[in-house]
Amino acid sequence: MNSFVERYSATSAVGQLRKAQRLTEEEEEFSDAAWGSQAGFGNIMNGPPSFTVPNVRDPAAFLRLHTDDHADPNCRIKIQHGTTTLAFRFQGGVIVAVDSRATAGSYIASGTVKKVIEINPYLLGTMAGGAADCQYWETYLGMHCRLHELRNRERISVSAASKYLSNLVYSYKGMGLSMGTMICGWDKTGPAVFYVDSDGTRLKGDLFSVGSGSTLAYGVLDQGYRWDLTDEEAQELGRRSIYAAGHRDAFSGNTCNLYHIKQDGWTFIGNYDIAKMHYDGPGDVPGAPGGGYGYDVRLAAANSTEVAAA
Amino acid sequence: MFLTRSEYDRGVNTFSPEGRLFQVEYAIEAIKLGSTTVGIRTPEGVVLAVEKRVQSPLLESNSIEKIMEIDTHLGCAMSGLTADARTMIDHARVTAQNHAFTYDERIKVESVTQAVCDLALRFGESVHDEEAMMSRPFGVALLIAGIDELGPQLYHTDPSGTFVRYDAKAIGSGSEAAQSELQDKWHRQMTLREAQLLTLNVLKQVMEEKLDQHNVQLAQVTPKGFEILDEASLKEVIEAM
Amino acid sequence: MPAMVSAAQPVQRSFNPYTENGGTILAIAGADFSVIAGDTRQSEGYSIQTRYAPKVFRLTDKAVLAVNGFAADGNMFVKKVRQRLEWYRHAHAKDMPIRAIARLIQTMLYARRFFPFYVYNILGGIEEDGTGAVYSFDLLIYFKNQTPAPGTAFPKHLPLSTVLPLVIDSFTSATERHIEVGDGLEIYIVLSKGSTALQSLQTIRGIQELTATNDGERVFVIRRELKKD
Repeated sequence: MNSFVERYSATSAVGQLRKAQRLTEEEEEFSDAAWGSQAGFGNIMNGPPSFTVPNVRDPAAFLRLHTDDHADPNCRIKIQHGTTTLAFRFQGGVIVAVDSRATAGSYIASGTVKKVIEINPYLLGTMAGGAADCQYWETYLGMHCRLHELRNRERISVSAASKYLSNLVYSYKGMGLSMGTMICGWDKTGPAVFYVDSDGTRLKGDLFSVGSGSTLAYGVLDQGYRWDLTDEEAQELGRRSIYAAGHRDAFSGNTCNLYHIKQDGWTFIGNYDIAKMHYDGPGDVPGAPGGGYGYDVRLAAANSTEVAAA
Repeated sequence: MFLTRSEYDRGVNTFSPEGRLFQVEYAIEAIKLGSTTVGIRTPEGVVLAVEKRVQSPLLESNSIEKIMEIDTHLGCAMSGLTADARTMIDHARVTAQNHAFTYDERIKVESVTQAVCDLALRFGESVHDEEAMMSRPFGVALLIAGIDELGPQLYHTDPSGTFVRYDAKAIGSGSEAAQSELQDKWHRQMTLREAQLLTLNVLKQVMEEKLDQHNVQLAQVTPKGFEILDEASLKEVIEAM
Repeated sequence: MPAMVSAAQPVQRSFNPYTENGGTILAIAGADFSVIAGDTRQSEGYSIQTRYAPKVFRLTDKAVLAVNGFAADGNMFVKKVRQRLEWYRHAHAKDMPIRAIARLIQTMLYARRFFPFYVYNILGGIEEDGTGAVYSFDLLIYFKNQTPAPGTAFPKHLPLSTVLPLVIDSFTSATERHIEVGDGLEIYIVLSKGSTALQSLQTIRGIQELTATNDGERVFVIRRELKKD
């Protein structure tokens, strides 16, 4: 049914992409934008960049056939999934914390992925789902935020930026984009967090977590969250929540990257090894209770019974 | 005079028998009606200054915008039909952002100038299916200031799409007097401060009104980035003159 | 595809423009150099198509690209990257810095979001500040090589005299046990301006210099045989 509608609908994403492709096909290799001072990329005055689409009846199904690793674990093109990201608003600004593991199937492709995308000095985006989709579109968003700033002589609001991204990915709905992101920042209205995903959902809220480890992170987060957390408490809560997810979710882990957004923009707080947090804790950082999050706690009881027995 | 130019000044893309494009030349004339704009390059950075014609005491002088930011490392001052400059500067901004997006680096000053000049030539009839963007040449000249890996640079563009690099350049109604003054006073080791003072001195000489912080605008591009001087710092420079 | 298709049932055909041509590429960044290497066997399934199909390409004097995956896509991709580098050189009167090449490759890969190039790239070379760099790409984007976390010494930069034997040993042992690896080995070495590693290169057997400009960075290639069975 879906493919039937798409085939005959002039306004479907596929139809639009096909049309765009037909228009650009002949010129793709030698368009004006590739020459002269632009020497490269399509002109954004004509809308978002154009994409090559395979010349088949259903391009989305083609892509699904070659990329979807749930249906066929042997398909050639694997897209990275699995992650834990979180962001919350409190009286001192916004805390953004993420893990750094990238998986392709059961293989850990990288343990040092930067899942926080620094859109500009006062806006952060997080990365869950397709790493490429998040990185590409959030960088693209950064370019538009800068243009907005130049044209209107004021910084774009977090709400407007997230709406821009949401509309952008919605126009590709059904084409297989995969992203779940939190757009975080500080604007005239104060700290703000918006959840945007590739289905077209856009939500304003105080507290979000996205990814396969999100339920684990929520557990810690909801338990410790208050609006009037101090900066140190809030940073510790972010760290502790990512640790919890990294510890129990196989698709999350390696390290935790922590950011804090205040009125004058974001600052990178630190990178913490999750295994190290389990045994020794995050080290000498403000807000940390001292000692490991998992190891000592578990052994404490055993040790005390040993002592009692002795 | 105009009779001798006969019919050849009608079409924007018809050469006269002497090989001239009159509409483009007239567009260059339009700049000479514009307010005076001065730019000076120094080893520390580039200074831009414009005269704002405040035609009425009821006019809000800070709503006149003749110096604009293209990107952090690029600024631009205009003279002539300033409305045309908006199109050009928006093109420059988009080009600069596109470059940053595609190559993760700042665009060179010459490249962004080239991009603006490419646009300046897109007037006239359309080529096959391509839409004609403009029916006439732009009536504005720009001074594009910026810093890249080659150091501080100042470029001048005119409606013919020609661009040239200058150490110091004046455009607009008082440009002739201003340019000879710049020729006398400019020297290679000028400091940024000296350049600020020189631009204002040059403007002062060609302006009809008495120069104050409301009828001029001063901007600079330094390694720290583009910056339009606020009223307080502008006043301070004027008082130091 | 359904595993069992009886003759009576309709057979669904699908467009499959991809294949896998095997082989291995690697890159190691040093403090002031970068080493990029690949074997030269190209195979499909159990048959060897050729014993000499280069997978490593010099782009500029500061950047070398290694391409692995589907060879046809890979060769076309390298061709397109080179074309863009040439255009950039004409437009901006300079060679593209490696960071810019990395971003360019990302945008080129992502432009095929809905029809990906089946290529895995590694880009190695020298940054504008003279340090060695490695960027790795999946089908659509890039990740910068790891930089040491503040206060730690990881990753350690190995000296070139350690890296070269390491690369050769890695390929020799991969050839020993992997059917898709073998035939020949090409090791590209990019040295930054005034790199001290230059001395140790002079004595290497059959080393060939590929440097094209006088900017100071130098590119060398070492070719070695690998087992052909």
